[in-house]
Amino acid sequence: MTLKYLYISILCILLISTTVALQISEASSYYKSLSKQSTFTAGDTIELKFLFSGNADVYLYCSNSYGSVVLNPIATNTKLSFSIPKSVSKKSGILNWQLISDKTEVTGQVNIKPKTSIKTIESYLGPPSIEAGGTDFTMLVIIPTDDLDNPLIDSTKVEIKRQFLVNQNTSDVFTEHGFGYRNIYSETKSGRILISSEVLELNSKEYDVNVVPAIPTNFEINAERIHDYADGNQITTFKTTVIKDRYCNNVSDGTFVTFFITNKDGYKSKTSGLTINGIAVAELLHPDHEEQWSIKAYVEGMANSNKIELDYKQAISDFDVVFSEDKRTINIGPLKSFMSQRAPDGLQVNLLIYKDGLLQEQFIESSFNGKTKFHLNTDRFPKGNYNLEIKVAGMTKTFSDMSYE
Amino acid sequence: MSKTNTNILRSLLLLSYVIIITLVIYGFGALYSYLNTGADRSKMLHTEVKQVDQYLPELQWAPLDNEGRPIDEQTLSKIENDYLDAWYVKYVAYKTNTKQGIDDYYTKSARANIFNIIAINTENKTTIEATTLEHHPSLEFFSEDGQLAVLTDHDVIEFKRIYKSEKLITEVTEKSSYKVTLLLEDGFWRIRHLVKIDSEPYAKEKGNPPIKISKITGINYYPQVNPWDMFGDSFDTKIITADFDIIRDSGLNSIRVFVPYDSFGKSSVDSTQLDQFLKLLDIAEAKNLKVMVTLFDFYGDYSVLDWTLTQRHAKVIVNALKDHKALSFWDIKNEPNLDFESRGEKLVTAWLDKMIDFVKSQDPNHAVTIGWSNAQSANILKDKLDFVSFHYYEALEELDATYRALKTKIPDKPVVISEYGVSSYSGLWNPFGNSEDDQAAYHKTIQSVFTKNDIPFMSWTLYDFDKIPKEVVGRLPWRQNAQKHFGFIDENGIQKPSFKFISKE
Repeated sequence: MTLKYLYISILCILLISTTVALQISEASSYYKSLSKQSTFTAGDTIELKFLFSGNADVYLYCSNSYGSVVLNPIATNTKLSFSIPKSVSKKSGILNWQLISDKTEVTGQVNIKPKTSIKTIESYLGPPSIEAGGTDFTMLVIIPTDDLDNPLIDSTKVEIKRQFLVNQNTSDVFTEHGFGYRNIYSETKSGRILISSEVLELNSKEYDVNVVPAIPTNFEINAERIHDYADGNQITTFKTTVIKDRYCNNVSDGTFVTFFITNKDGYKSKTSGLTINGIAVAELLHPDHEEQWSIKAYVEGMANSNKIELDYKQAISDFDVVFSEDKRTINIGPLKSFMSQRAPDGLQVNLLIYKDGLLQEQFIESSFNGKTKFHLNTDRFPKGNYNLEIKVAGMTKTFSDMSYE
Repeated sequence: MSKTNTNILRSLLLLSYVIIITLVIYGFGALYSYLNTGADRSKMLHTEVKQVDQYLPELQWAPLDNEGRPIDEQTLSKIENDYLDAWYVKYVAYKTNTKQGIDDYYTKSARANIFNIIAINTENKTTIEATTLEHHPSLEFFSEDGQLAVLTDHDVIEFKRIYKSEKLITEVTEKSSYKVTLLLEDGFWRIRHLVKIDSEPYAKEKGNPPIKISKITGINYYPQVNPWDMFGDSFDTKIITADFDIIRDSGLNSIRVFVPYDSFGKSSVDSTQLDQFLKLLDIAEAKNLKVMVTLFDFYGDYSVLDWTLTQRHAKVIVNALKDHKALSFWDIKNEPNLDFESRGEKLVTAWLDKMIDFVKSQDPNHAVTIGWSNAQSANILKDKLDFVSFHYYEALEELDATYRALKTKIPDKPVVISEYGVSSYSGLWNPFGNSEDDQAAYHKTIQSVFTKNDIPFMSWTLYDFDKIPKEVVGRLPWRQNAQKHFGFIDENGIQKPSFKFISKE
């Protein structure tokens, strides 16, 4: 009986002592951060040390700008040390950590500053072309980074240099939120601005921005021709004066100019040209009969010219028509031009054939050596009476009631 | 004999000819269809990319006052989408330790940092499930050519669950601020620089003192014909009005109604059903009944990357209903402790914890509770809730002791029994079940316990049902049949003996 009590009491003591021991070991698990330094430079070796007693089976959670990792300690008798991996410690920003143990929670953070030396200047320039006149601008954004790709600390001085025509100047901006920027305005002249920047004695490469002329202003036109006869052969050339923007820059080459030609009947034709050195040239064939043209040019939606008038004199005053014996071959010509010279080849001759007031057929031929010939086929035009009409250079000759066998 | 052989030979030849031709045609067909795949224009142009909500943390832009070019709304929303997607793909990458999707949302030099961390975590067998719950970005700068934007994202609430060798070692909630430089590359706003400028552990500061609740005598409500499916096409205001009359006339003052998460449209809440819910509240108000709204019914995912979607769901519903006079309480979720086994107690509790904070942030004026399925779980998160509620289906004689024990643990907050009841089913599947008279006796007794201890109560349920969806109690017939007969009124609309004790002894 006594033995039984003894046995029970021993068991009880054992049980109590293990519980107490467990409690002691829990209570004695103790961690204290030994690392005093709270500011580091990117790329520094960061080692977080803890004084501890008790359980060494702990982890360190740490989180930088991009993500989180969990580290295992290197433990000695009383100290735990965690070395932060290089790829984590090289990024600037707050690195916060937490010791993960089953008992106490130890947390903290270190501030990793970017390096003070520069490796690259990241520049973003846009838009790449701007309009002359001092209101349009391009923007240069500079992100200076250290060799670990961290943006440099704010308030870093950035020198922005620009050159345009005879001017060259430098201005300073200071970075904020990791970058610096400057608006670069155009001047009244067109041309090319060269831009570069310098941070901590590191120079960027050269950037350029095209300053294109502003929109065209109104201009004048004139016409050139070798004679004023409506011979349907020569070419009239229309030309603009030098088209300029409002700051007297020649407009960009390739500006599209359309010439609208209105004839005396009110019909419109158009021809067009692109500017080179501010001048656009367009051409049109002379009319083949007497005509008055009025011409006006447009850069559509932006500018237009004055209106000019051109008169074309009749070049061919009369023409002969000779029928063959059976009247089925019709010879027209010689067509004589303004100096009685034979009209240039290619003058259009029309023959219209009517029967009983209805148009049966229209033949169009071009003159060759001042002459044209038509032949009326017996199969197409059988026996009967026809009216013939011949049109050349705006003139018409009519032959009524021609009877054919 | 030889003639037969010749015929066999002939038919074999014919057959083989047919087979060969079939194969050849099939081969050409396969080649043709192969050559016609791949260069699908709609795929090339990404016109078919379906917009699926994957990540919807709360995001509030500071008033726009940025340097550089004024930003338009469309660009800002494009930046917002890509920026949030960048967080999402990053967390997916850290959860799985893969690099999927990172290329689209981080520039070449930025993504190297993420890959480094993935490499470390892969080596250490660490995985991190994380999400951000709040962002408060302010746009600092937008460049003239529209290719570069800088923003400061203040007070980003990050929640992380950290696993080592697939074992959860800790959960962290942090409030951090970031400086972000984004570049427009290939049509994506990609993160070029990300610098954490501030970080601290985050715990929601103790909110307002618990909201006082009035006396509840109530019932869980589903219509007789469409239990667990009362909204949508089968929503019927006539039936609801008639039922609310019955409830009111029986002397009860509250009902408990459920918002099913999936059928209400998850993160993009179906406005028709929401309108129906408001109609239900209108009817309740007209009948002078208060409504306890139980959110997230049948929700079971809980995965950390899904949290922002549940948050969006709660935001829409809470904001739509919070000003309604008939609303009395928010019940975050029905019996979430039943998910402890399959999803892990810590994960479910963490979700509930954050969801309580979120619902309170959206509606500080209504009390919040969780409908635990038993008294043992009712301790969980008790400090965060305005009142504690649990369901009681255990032995009647233990209720008194259980309630008192709980009340000593939670002396300062009301403790509500938001479901209780007994089935009156006895039949083929349970010949020794309770009769309708037994059920009446149960209710009479339990009402006496309620009166004695002054317990606010909500019974289960008004009607006997004809069919129970399999999601509720499974397919087993003895469970299904028991569940059908918890009502005070049978399926023919006749009051059972228990009806006498629906609101009082």
